[in-house]
Amino acid sequence: MKFIKNHLMFILPLMAILLGIEFYLVFDRTTNSYEKGLKEGYTMFVVSKKPMTLSAFKALNTHIESFEAIKRKDVVSDIVKGISKNNEKAILKALPFFYNVGLDAYVNTVELDKIKADLEANADIERVETFGNSYRSAYKLFAFIKFTLKLFIGFMGIVSLFLIIKQMEIWKYAHKQRMQVMEIFGAPLMLRSGVLFKVAVTDAIVATLITAMIFLYIKFEWAAKSGIDIIVKNKENLFRMSDMGILLGAALVIVIIAVYSVVFSSSGVDE
Amino acid sequence: MSNVISASQLTLAYDNGKKEIIKNANFSIRKGEFVFITGPSGSGKSTLLKALYGALKPTGGNLIVGGLDLANITTGKLQELRTHMGIIFQDYKLVNEWTVAKNVILPLMIAGYSVDVQHTQAQRLLKHVKLSEHSDRYPLELSGGEQQRVGVARALAKNPVVILADEPTGNLDDYSSNVIWDLMENACQQLETTVLVVTHKIPTIFSLPYRHFIIESKGVYEVH
Ligand SMILES: Nc1ncnc2c1ncn2[C@@H]1O[C@H](COP(=O)(O)OP(=O)(O)OP(=O)(O)O)[C@@H](O)[C@H]1O
Ligand SMILES: [Mg+2]
Repeated sequence: MKFIKNHLMFILPLMAILLGIEFYLVFDRTTNSYEKGLKEGYTMFVVSKKPMTLSAFKALNTHIESFEAIKRKDVVSDIVKGISKNNEKAILKALPFFYNVGLDAYVNTVELDKIKADLEANADIERVETFGNSYRSAYKLFAFIKFTLKLFIGFMGIVSLFLIIKQMEIWKYAHKQRMQVMEIFGAPLMLRSGVLFKVAVTDAIVATLITAMIFLYIKFEWAAKSGIDIIVKNKENLFRMSDMGILLGAALVIVIIAVYSVVFSSSGVDE
Repeated sequence: MSNVISASQLTLAYDNGKKEIIKNANFSIRKGEFVFITGPSGSGKSTLLKALYGALKPTGGNLIVGGLDLANITTGKLQELRTHMGIIFQDYKLVNEWTVAKNVILPLMIAGYSVDVQHTQAQRLLKHVKLSEHSDRYPLELSGGEQQRVGVARALAKNPVVILADEPTGNLDDYSSNVIWDLMENACQQLETTVLVVTHKIPTIFSLPYRHFIIESKGVYEVH
């Protein structure tokens, strides 16, 4: 019983950190695809005196990635119904050129304003409509969700780290006598910390496997049944086999730091 | 003959040098010598041994053990030096979660002997200290005197070059004490082991020539 409790006291906080890391990875991947969606759905509207090319736009601001000219005939056609062909030509001549301009990333609002300013600095460009307000609110909500989740994960990580340090102190107490005796008889560091390493590495592997199992369950069992559209669509992002490596690596790094902190603080002989 | 231990103007202290225990001591001990150290309680006998196995750095003077200057020794060299020492502690310092046999095996394990050798040697020593039937028990299941004898068996297990013993017979009756003295005499005589023993009572029957140091008022003096 005491044995199981001792392990759980290490495995649980370690799992909390690993869950946090995995949540972060999943969130990063889903937001990336969401960001892509937002980016692709967004264009700004530009009115220009002269016809523009993509490279001309790109020269004004490097964030500009695509553009689409709005057919001027379509714009005029409604107005010119019943007007003579000559007049139509005159109107067409007087009419400026219209473009929908797409960006390469989902930029923040400051950058959006800068792009607008860069475009307007060109004498040929008459007007730029960024649809700033709707863009701004979508961006702010998105940034807020991203921030709170990171904050939460960070907080969970710190609390767990403290729990691990606490557990290390218990381990230190339990292993100190043995490690000191071994040190006095000239045992090298590896031999002294061997037992502790075995325990800690086993715990790290167990924590990684349980975390992976939880996410695999969510991915293959729960996600499909959940009926939540965004989760079903992003199912592939939920857990990847490569995540297992990241989790195990993180767990081992934490374990190595923890074990060495115990070993070094137990060395030296004091009565 | 070469000195195994030599101290010159040796000063030992606790609390960052504020609490001096031994001051400006000079002595040297040659290979194969048997030395008794006596002195009042609290005079610094255990402190001197602690310095000899490198757990307390001298605050002044020189302390050379096995050719190594203990004031400026690297961790690696100290580890190596300690594998040649057999140390018996006043408070035994057994590992409570290990069996008696495993405790005795420790120095052999550190030296990397095969499991077979470890086992035979441990059984041989436990037989010497009359603890054969206790080899699978744990230290806390033994009496104080029995634990002390486990500590003696552990110290002798690897045939060390130097034995540092702190009150090795402190908890033993005359019969058991004589068993311990015999073991140490044999080590000294047959293997030329250098032996330093802290004791409050030098045995009356002792067949080897020996030297006698007294620690008193921060000094280390030899009795002739
Ligand atoms: N870690 C320590 N920190 C501070 N003072 C210490 C420490 N260990 C021992 N002392 C002090 O150093 C002095 C010498 O202690 P030491 O243990 O060497 O005495 P001793 O001669 O072995 O006594 P005994 O015969 O009772 O075992 C004592 O006054 C003791 O209180
Ligand atoms: Mg003492």
